[in-house]
Amino acid sequence: MDFRFDIIVEYFPFFMEGMGLTILMSVVGVLMGCILGFFIALGKMSPILIVRLPFIWYINFLRGTPLLVQLFLFHYAVLPTLLGSTTPVISVMVTLSLNSSAYVAEIFRAGLQSIDKGQAEAAHSLGMNKFQVMRHVLLPQAFKRSIPPLGNEFIVLLKDSSLGAMIAAQELLYWGRAASGQYLRVWEPYLMVALVYLVLTLSLTYLLNYLERRFDVK
Amino acid sequence: MISVKHLKKSFGDLEVLKDINVDIGQKEVVVVIGPSGSGKSTFLRCLNLIESITNGTVSIDGVELTDKKVDINKLRAEVGMVFQQFNLFPHKTVLENITLPIVTVKKESKQDAEKKAKDLLQKVGLLDKADAYPESLSGGQKQRVAIARALGMEPKVMLFDEPTSALDPEMVGEVLGVMKQLAEEGMTMVVVTHEMGFAKEVGDCVIFMDEGYVVEEKEPKQLFENPQHERTKAFLSKIL
Ligand SMILES: Nc1ncnc2c1ncn2[C@@H]1O[C@H](COP(=O)(O)OP(=O)(O)OP(=O)(O)O)[C@@H](O)[C@H]1O
Ligand SMILES: [Mg+2]
Repeated sequence: MDFRFDIIVEYFPFFMEGMGLTILMSVVGVLMGCILGFFIALGKMSPILIVRLPFIWYINFLRGTPLLVQLFLFHYAVLPTLLGSTTPVISVMVTLSLNSSAYVAEIFRAGLQSIDKGQAEAAHSLGMNKFQVMRHVLLPQAFKRSIPPLGNEFIVLLKDSSLGAMIAAQELLYWGRAASGQYLRVWEPYLMVALVYLVLTLSLTYLLNYLERRFDVK
Repeated sequence: MISVKHLKKSFGDLEVLKDINVDIGQKEVVVVIGPSGSGKSTFLRCLNLIESITNGTVSIDGVELTDKKVDINKLRAEVGMVFQQFNLFPHKTVLENITLPIVTVKKESKQDAEKKAKDLLQKVGLLDKADAYPESLSGGQKQRVAIARALGMEPKVMLFDEPTSALDPEMVGEVLGVMKQLAEEGMTMVVVTHEMGFAKEVGDCVIFMDEGYVVEEKEPKQLFENPQHERTKAFLSKIL
């Protein structure tokens, strides 16, 4: 079997461009996911059932339906209705943000609930109010415990952003499909795309391990 | 200083405190003893509203705890509490454990808080551990830091819930020593403990609790040597 490196060489700039967009969409997704997820976690921990309920179902929906279905729903239905129009990149970023917010919310909630009750009690007994207890005692500890699962979530998100190709967001897999379509070759483009994803996820894994070690030292 | 009248506390259907009446004067050291599950911790936790009061009244230094208008956080700052499990903040250094509430609650400057924290560490004999993290301390050292942290708020009353029960025997003395010193300086203290030596030496009054009631309340010597109630006798015979 011949392997046509010239296809890879020709498409290399596009793969790099696609990789940039893949990274951008995942970073936006994970950052927005963290911000939203934090508030959703707080909402889901509310002692009042009526307050809790919408958050529970928000999480149920986003974790219980396929990401591709959510992407189609947002791209073709929700966003055009809400905003009038949308672009593939915006749709992917919104969908990834919301989807990861549900997972991140559960990560934060587990992190917060794993903190010994004595911590909040001690802080309250010193006269700290709820906000101060959260800010100075619970969140720093919960965040530290959340780093490993957040890292996993980031890696999942990075790979899932490839679904953007289904609505023609010009990320990494999109260019793989483009190359494949132009030259009617399947091995070169898809192996190349897989390789770039692998480099990205492995680099991220190393980075996260480094961060975990750093934070463990306190 | 502390006046408890008809205090009742229930968890759902379970009534844990059933009509507690206690008066504690300024500078008094009250030791609370009683079998497991008798409600000692719950009683203590009601005194700083970590547990809500179901019924009855508690007033501390003239402040009615059940009053809707009472500033709970201000009250808690004035009532220090020391826990069996220390509950130091593991992500903060020893010094930061003490300065955090001083800066956030009392709104003092960082410099003032650090100076105060160092004085307190000196007092409990741990100035050299200021920059250590709690995990590197022994149990006795952790508890002394916890006491220093509570003292940083300049409380009017200190509550101790079995402060030495989680310690190895050889470390009990150092913690009791700090508590004894506090008592001598005139701190009003309520101490749940099984350390009868401490009760006899430092306590002004011992309260024996059983099944949510105060069964007997006397000077330590009298209570230990001449208990009046059968249940007190039975309990003392088991632990002495
Ligand atoms: N948050 C809670 N919810 C339900 N029941 C509780 C709660 N806290 C305490 N109890 C119950 O209240 C009773 C008294 O508990 P408490 O901790 O005050 O006893 P104690 O005298 O301190 O015992 P010990 O010597 O074991 O510490 C126990 O039966 C306990 O199970
Ligand atoms: Mg107890």
